[in-house]
Amino acid sequence: MAYIRKDVSTLTGAERRRFVNALLAIKKRGEYDEFVRMHIDHYVSDGDGGLRSAHMAPSFLPWHRRFLLDLEAALRRVDPAVTVPYWDWTRDRATTAAPWTKDLLGGNGRRSDHQVTTGPFAYATGNWTIKENVTDGEFLTRDLGRAGDPIDLPARSDVETALRDPVYDVSPWDSTVDRGFRNRLEGWGSGSGSAAWRNHNRVHRWVGGVMLGGASVNDPVFWLHHAFVDLLWTRWQSRHREHRYLPAEPPGPGSRQYRRVVARHEKLPPWNVTPDQLEDASRIYRYA
Amino acid sequence: MAVSVEGVPVSAVPAATARSAPARRTRRRDLLRGLLGASAALAIAPVVAASRPPGPADAGPAGSSFDETYRGRHIRGALTSSGPAAATGGEWKVTVDGRPLHLMRRADGTWLSMVDHYRSYATPLEAVRAAVDGLGPGERLREDGPAHHHTHMGGHHGLHP
Ligand SMILES: [Cu+2]
Ligand SMILES: [Cu+2]
Repeated sequence: MAYIRKDVSTLTGAERRRFVNALLAIKKRGEYDEFVRMHIDHYVSDGDGGLRSAHMAPSFLPWHRRFLLDLEAALRRVDPAVTVPYWDWTRDRATTAAPWTKDLLGGNGRRSDHQVTTGPFAYATGNWTIKENVTDGEFLTRDLGRAGDPIDLPARSDVETALRDPVYDVSPWDSTVDRGFRNRLEGWGSGSGSAAWRNHNRVHRWVGGVMLGGASVNDPVFWLHHAFVDLLWTRWQSRHREHRYLPAEPPGPGSRQYRRVVARHEKLPPWNVTPDQLEDASRIYRYA
Repeated sequence: MAVSVEGVPVSAVPAATARSAPARRTRRRDLLRGLLGASAALAIAPVVAASRPPGPADAGPAGSSFDETYRGRHIRGALTSSGPAAATGGEWKVTVDGRPLHLMRRADGTWLSMVDHYRSYATPLEAVRAAVDGLGPGERLREDGPAHHHTHMGGHHGLHP
């Protein structure tokens, strides 16, 4: 029986509390920090060589789908009723509404040092000390909307542009492609204008603080954001039923992308699972 | 609990991650040594960026090194001939207030840092300034470096022109 992932703005008080408590429980036993570590370790940039499984690659979507499933399974071992809610940033755009409330993720960082001081993940609670970080910072930081140099959350039309593209991804399967659903959603652009950073990437930048960097998983909003990105993948799939994950076959030895991307039936590191096996998760969970 | 994707059991725990943690830490230390070695390299001869692939990244003001104070932070960077990327044009070694900052390169030739990971910049200097912008007041990079070692994760090294 598939379980349901809900819109975070619709969670009841009890659902919020149980989600938060499950996160705090896995943080306490060190499990959460392994997720942070794993995400840092799998960030390979496309100008640097090596296999890219998590970012700047077709498997951006299945990689994060599986990553979410692992986190969700960890939470459900603590409390079997918990699922990861999604944050629809095309609708919930206020810095004071869900998910930024005291009973959920807490609010914006304070002005002086961007430290989050409200809610269950505030440093002063003693429950959310950051261990795996790019900086020596031990407290959760946010700078919602980037006060010093403001940016907006992606518009609904940005998401619509991505969803309209019938092709999953195109060669050379990296951050430079300007077509294909995957990068339109992942959001790598060119040029230096702020419009160059779209959708998924833009939301990381809008939240700011730890969400800006390699240790973004330290902010629990990471999961709510990626649940929505994952939901958008299911929306794209139902709009373009005849279209599948690409590439179907691995790029050959003559290609610059040889051994650098994961094709449909190849193993997706670090798991023993292929994008093909992750394309349809509807028997595990559904979105409400 | 074990969930199942298309009949394939999907183990719920990132067990491999947990198991390999000590090895990873060791590799991190290796990287640290590399970076400390790099600060020595900063003082020696940075190689000229002749073999870098063409692209927007080549608009760097100083070419192959910089050393300046930006928003109260001492930022230094140099293109060195050491490191795994040496054969393909060298590797940038960068510090902010003496602590190493790992730069990554995008296929279009632009640069991003571990601090500011979801957009890129035309030059290493711009990427480092942006990282400073992304640091909170009083926040410093880790002494033991950015703890990023994708170059150990397999695959060949080399810039993608
Ligand atoms: Cu990610
Ligand atoms: Cu992300």
